[in-house]
Amino acid sequence: MIQVVEEALAQHGAAATVSRVGCIGLCYAEPLLDVTLPGGPRVFYGNVTPAAAAEIIETHVVGGAPVERLAMGYIPGPDGVDSAGGIPETVASLDSHPLRAVETKIALRNAGNIDPGDIYQYVANGGYHALNRALTEMTPEETVEQVNASGLRGRGGAAFPTGTKWRFLAGSNAPVKYILCNCEEGDPGAFNDKAIVESDPHTLIEGILLAGYATGANAGYIFIRHGHDGPIDRAREALIQAKEIGLVGQDIMGSGFNFELEVALTGDSYVAGEESALMEAIEGSRAMPRFRPPFPAQFGLFGKPTNINNVKTLAYVPQIIANGGDWFASIGHEQSKGTVILCLTGDLKYTGMIEVPLGINLRDVLYEAAGGVPDGKSLKLIQSGGPLGGVLGADHVDVVLDFEVLRSAGAILGSGGIIAADEDTCVVDLTRALIAFCQYESCGKCFPCRMGMSHLLEVLERICRLEGTLEDLALMRKVGENMQAGSLCGHGQLGFNPVSSALRYFGDEFEAHIVGRTCPTGVCLKPKFSPALTRR
Amino acid sequence: MPDDITISIDGVDIQTQPGKMVLEAAIEAGIYIPYLCYHPGMKPFAACRMCVVGVEGGRGYPAACALPVAPDMKIRSEDSDVQQLRHSVMEMLIAEHPDGCLTCHRIEICGPSDVCLRHVSVRDRCVTCPKNERCELKDTVRYLGMNLESPLQYKYRQIPLEVSDPFYDRDYNLCIVCGRCVRACEELRGDDAICFTDRGGSALVGTSFGTSLLESGCEFCGACIDVCPVGALVEREHKWEKAASVERTICPHCPVGCQMNLEINSLGGFVRAIPELNSPANRGQACFKGKFGLEFINSRERLKHPMVRRDGLLEEVTWVEALDYIAERLPNYAGDSFALLTSPNSTNEEHYLAQKFARLVMSTNNVDQTSNTQPELTGALERSLGYAAATNPIWDLEQAECILVFNSNVTEEHNVVGVPIKRAARKDTKLVVIDPREVELTRYADVWLRPAPGTELLLLGGVLRSLIDQGLQHDDWLEENCESPATLYYALHNLDMDEVSRLTHVSLKAMEEAARLFGEGGAGSIVYALDNVPSSLRVDCVRALIGLSLLTGNVGKPGAGLYPMRQGANEQGAWDVGCLPDRLPGYRSVQDADARAEVEEAWAGSVPETPGIRVTEALEAVADGRVKAMMVIGDGATLTNGKISDDVQAFSNLEFLVVHDTFAGALSDIADVVLPRVTFAEKDGTFTNLERRIQRFRPAIQVTNTDARPDSWVICELASRMGGRGFNFLTAAQVMEEIANLCPSYGGVSYHRLDEGGKLVLRTNLDSPQPTQVLHAGKEYPGLQWPCSAEDAEDTRILYAAEGFPPGIAVLEAPSFRVEDVADDADFPSWLVPGRVLFQQGKEIEVVRGRRNHIQREEQVELNPVTAAALAVQNGDRVQVRTRSHRDNAALIAIVRLADGVPEGVISTTTLFGQLAEAMQTSSEPDAAAGVAGLDICRAAIVKIE
Repeated sequence: MIQVVEEALAQHGAAATVSRVGCIGLCYAEPLLDVTLPGGPRVFYGNVTPAAAAEIIETHVVGGAPVERLAMGYIPGPDGVDSAGGIPETVASLDSHPLRAVETKIALRNAGNIDPGDIYQYVANGGYHALNRALTEMTPEETVEQVNASGLRGRGGAAFPTGTKWRFLAGSNAPVKYILCNCEEGDPGAFNDKAIVESDPHTLIEGILLAGYATGANAGYIFIRHGHDGPIDRAREALIQAKEIGLVGQDIMGSGFNFELEVALTGDSYVAGEESALMEAIEGSRAMPRFRPPFPAQFGLFGKPTNINNVKTLAYVPQIIANGGDWFASIGHEQSKGTVILCLTGDLKYTGMIEVPLGINLRDVLYEAAGGVPDGKSLKLIQSGGPLGGVLGADHVDVVLDFEVLRSAGAILGSGGIIAADEDTCVVDLTRALIAFCQYESCGKCFPCRMGMSHLLEVLERICRLEGTLEDLALMRKVGENMQAGSLCGHGQLGFNPVSSALRYFGDEFEAHIVGRTCPTGVCLKPKFSPALTRR
Repeated sequence: MPDDITISIDGVDIQTQPGKMVLEAAIEAGIYIPYLCYHPGMKPFAACRMCVVGVEGGRGYPAACALPVAPDMKIRSEDSDVQQLRHSVMEMLIAEHPDGCLTCHRIEICGPSDVCLRHVSVRDRCVTCPKNERCELKDTVRYLGMNLESPLQYKYRQIPLEVSDPFYDRDYNLCIVCGRCVRACEELRGDDAICFTDRGGSALVGTSFGTSLLESGCEFCGACIDVCPVGALVEREHKWEKAASVERTICPHCPVGCQMNLEINSLGGFVRAIPELNSPANRGQACFKGKFGLEFINSRERLKHPMVRRDGLLEEVTWVEALDYIAERLPNYAGDSFALLTSPNSTNEEHYLAQKFARLVMSTNNVDQTSNTQPELTGALERSLGYAAATNPIWDLEQAECILVFNSNVTEEHNVVGVPIKRAARKDTKLVVIDPREVELTRYADVWLRPAPGTELLLLGGVLRSLIDQGLQHDDWLEENCESPATLYYALHNLDMDEVSRLTHVSLKAMEEAARLFGEGGAGSIVYALDNVPSSLRVDCVRALIGLSLLTGNVGKPGAGLYPMRQGANEQGAWDVGCLPDRLPGYRSVQDADARAEVEEAWAGSVPETPGIRVTEALEAVADGRVKAMMVIGDGATLTNGKISDDVQAFSNLEFLVVHDTFAGALSDIADVVLPRVTFAEKDGTFTNLERRIQRFRPAIQVTNTDARPDSWVICELASRMGGRGFNFLTAAQVMEEIANLCPSYGGVSYHRLDEGGKLVLRTNLDSPQPTQVLHAGKEYPGLQWPCSAEDAEDTRILYAAEGFPPGIAVLEAPSFRVEDVADDADFPSWLVPGRVLFQQGKEIEVVRGRRNHIQREEQVELNPVTAAALAVQNGDRVQVRTRSHRDNAALIAIVRLADGVPEGVISTTTLFGQLAEAMQTSSEPDAAAGVAGLDICRAAIVKIE
């Protein structure tokens, strides 16, 4: 596509800058192409084909008139709404798009707006000002205090207060301490970490530097799953730029603060996203979780005190420092402060990634922002927080997004991935797919998870083949509950969630498979791809 | 010692110390909590969840193995919720593990030797599991008392057995993926030869990329087998046999003194050896020789009857006849025309009796031990510091901040000493290796100095000089503890460092780095042997090493040891009890009249004054007729396998030769009398290992199929026949009493103390229905580390720590730093320097899979580009390397690779440890482990093959 654009520009001899930007959140409309003429608004074109791209270049860039037929919206230029002059009336402001109307952008403020490969664009948009402020005006204690006041909680899934976590590390006198950033992000349906690193890597780097300054750590790793090539390349490129201008390394901004940062990779492993497995992976061992205590704050990477934060958590920090903790705390709902980045996928009209304030109603997100289920079908369930998060029936989506509320509803916000499924989805089959994922991604260390996942999968496959018995349900419950009680890390402890939540909301569908020997949706009656049983 | 705290387990209060884990505390208190992945001696892993417990006031079910004790903690281990959780995990385990041994309906009526052929399918049958009835999994199931009716689907993994690698079989159908083997390999041994493979439900154990063990970096130590709780890893020899009894003994292969538990079957035969966990010398570790090289005990080739040569043929006779025959003839050779050589695996008592016999009955000081070919190893130690022995315990090496290994192929010849070195090097300890050969430890080294052969001494000079140039010597300590180092400094300042660098082929920078690492650390240890050091330089090398220790103040404190790597298993003991041509018991000089008088008084007999001949001079003495009769006890092979000589015919000059050995060999073929000798496993006595640890062992096996007798019995019988007095010993303990009287260092040693000194170590509750995990329960026999001067005195872990140096202050003998002048050898102008490593990257290794896997590879030799240019060979050329050695007629054909690191004039080559393991496995020698060849440097010529 880039090639088509560049060729068309060359053909017309047009002097235009082509920037590759990250995700602006309108995933359903990708690939997106937007054109900004000098002084004018950004006009967006969605689902651009090569032919359409050529036409847009010819008509809009060269001719100066937007292609009305193809345009999906505009964002006003620097001079405000008035500069929308020259936009046909049929083209609406993009900010009135349902997905964007609900948004409050903090972590994603630059995503899709700046070239992630150019550190100066980040700086020009206020980047590294927070770091400068912290290094010149604030003590590390004050920095921690701001984060604490903001009420920021870890966005990796556990929602642990970040300020408290930082305080643990800041309290250690060890000469070497580490800050790790977790961008393993293996949850199917979640891509907000990758999007941040890909679209705005410097906001992450700034966040890590601030975390390092606040906690007295002097080295860090951005841990990215092997295979996330975009984020890996962007993060590395950004690090090189930041090092070149002295923002990472020795004596940052002349303040005497030193911080070394590197990108670390692991092989394809979901469990590598578990904090202790992540440290094992960075150390070069097989990514298997450690037992705790000792906790990472005492004995972490290479045995040194370590703090691990999710990408999203760290990406909030520059804005918190720049605007103050109280500002951040003013956004959100009860104990859940700030915004949440949701990845909306599945059977939705507008799939995409949006940053919304916590406290928003999930129903509104699904039916209004995302436009509900297309083709006149009805929503059956959503699956949130990754495979371990379980499912939530459509009748129960009328909840506000809040860590506590969601937890009591039986779902978790987790990484922010929300997969919607319409009425054609077979819950048993979906559960089987989720457990197949969990089974394959178990590291194989602790016995309950290693074997329990296999047994769960085996039973689910049996039910999918319409060969299940009612005893199988009790068996799954027994295996699952023992996994919950007996597993070493969250993978096994939460591994029963997909089954238990499915049974809670859709028990009758399981019974239809078992007693009625039929699949109400017909999915299980058709031959389908089934991952081979990996258990030997 | 931290204060005791109290925790309670199921209402029973136990005392423990902070820092321990609950499971550890429970085991020590004799309370059983089931476990599978935990193993004493390894870090907790918390995977199997068998040891889950409830904690009052705590959440969930933490694993006791990884749960630190806290004051007033209340643990629930036997409650039904906890047991139910264990049951459910076990239920899943059993669903993928053959369980005929638990579920067969005949289980109650089947006798131990019944063979069942029908009731259970073959792969699930109890008798097809090599670990049946010694399986920790089975015992844990029994303990849990669970109902094995399970709705879970049983799945056999259908994995082909791995039976083609040397020494042990792997059956991953039985594996429970507890990871003990992987952790043992990594954590205990520092090898990483095996790893977890795959993940999720198909996670298992294997080698990376599924290679043969021969190429995975396995050193065949068997540590993984020793920790395997199920039948997945087992020794191939006697795989199916069960032990009727287990006896503690000491491995006779090297002077580390590993305590081994020999499993004995109901017929009294040796089945397998398992290293003892509670042994301070080896801490549960063994090596390929000790683990897989003790099979010779059972050999049918053992000498069975005394034989006397009549008319050129050996005829079987009775012991009485044989002894009478000898006793009749030996008096003819009384005096210095007789020589007695003892074996490195003779006990302290036997060595003592042998030298007493030689001196008192045969009136000669011609008594030595066959392995004692490098007396220089400890001679300088005794003169400088006071004792001819290693200063610190073996495992103290882990405390060192820097370890220097000098010319010692320790991972093969004293393997278990290599374990703490590797473990330390994998942590923060710096490792400096000085060796012309590429030995395994060079892989772990921070600095490997590779001198040209013959320049080792000069290199040590360079390192010492660099040390003082960097000002790293400890002047204060020196002033207080040591005589003036002025002579040494003078010698060092006279060194032309550029010349040193040129001759040794080691850069100044590397020497500086080595000196810095050794000098900067707080505690530095030196492990040294004199393999391949020219004999003229040996004493000075040891002096230089002692100098290095003294200059850096590394004597008399933890982590700062000097470890001479002696060769024979009980060589240290032989020295201690005076089985030396120039020393009497207690290191008394034979030439010292007062010392002689003390011994004469104790023995009520006279002791000759002239020092005898050494084992290294024996051959010469035989050739020139000084020695006319000889008695060789054990280890005759050393005399004929090139270590001392390879000329058997030389011994035929003897008028009378008595050989007392376990196996027939070149020497017994020409002997006049051949006596069958028992092995270590049938003896009662003590060995003194290289860390001065006196350890008792008892007969593990009754001699049944041979009429072999121990040395002590033979010597006492001969002595009494020949009128010697003072040989009326009924037990080895009585001999030890006499040794204790004569050897001050052994003053407090008695069998009573050696036996009773051990404390009972509980591994689990002895009353629990847990036979296998109780296997480790037993007495800990720590032995005694001499000096232990009196019955009520403590033994000495670290020499010179509390008492200082016996000479008052340490004596610094300055070496004269030089290289050995080697006469130019036109026929063999180069040195062939062999090396051996576990794994080789970048060199083609092909393992031919078959009934026995076989390594096939094109050998390579590395040459310095300068040498190569002089020889007109290039990278990739095929060459033939010939050596002078008679035995090695088959020349080495290899491909040349150019390498700058190789000194000029050196042909460097490496073989793989796997090749050695393969050779040992297929050897037809009865005692293959004893015959493992070392890495000897020799003169060689290289010719290009067109």
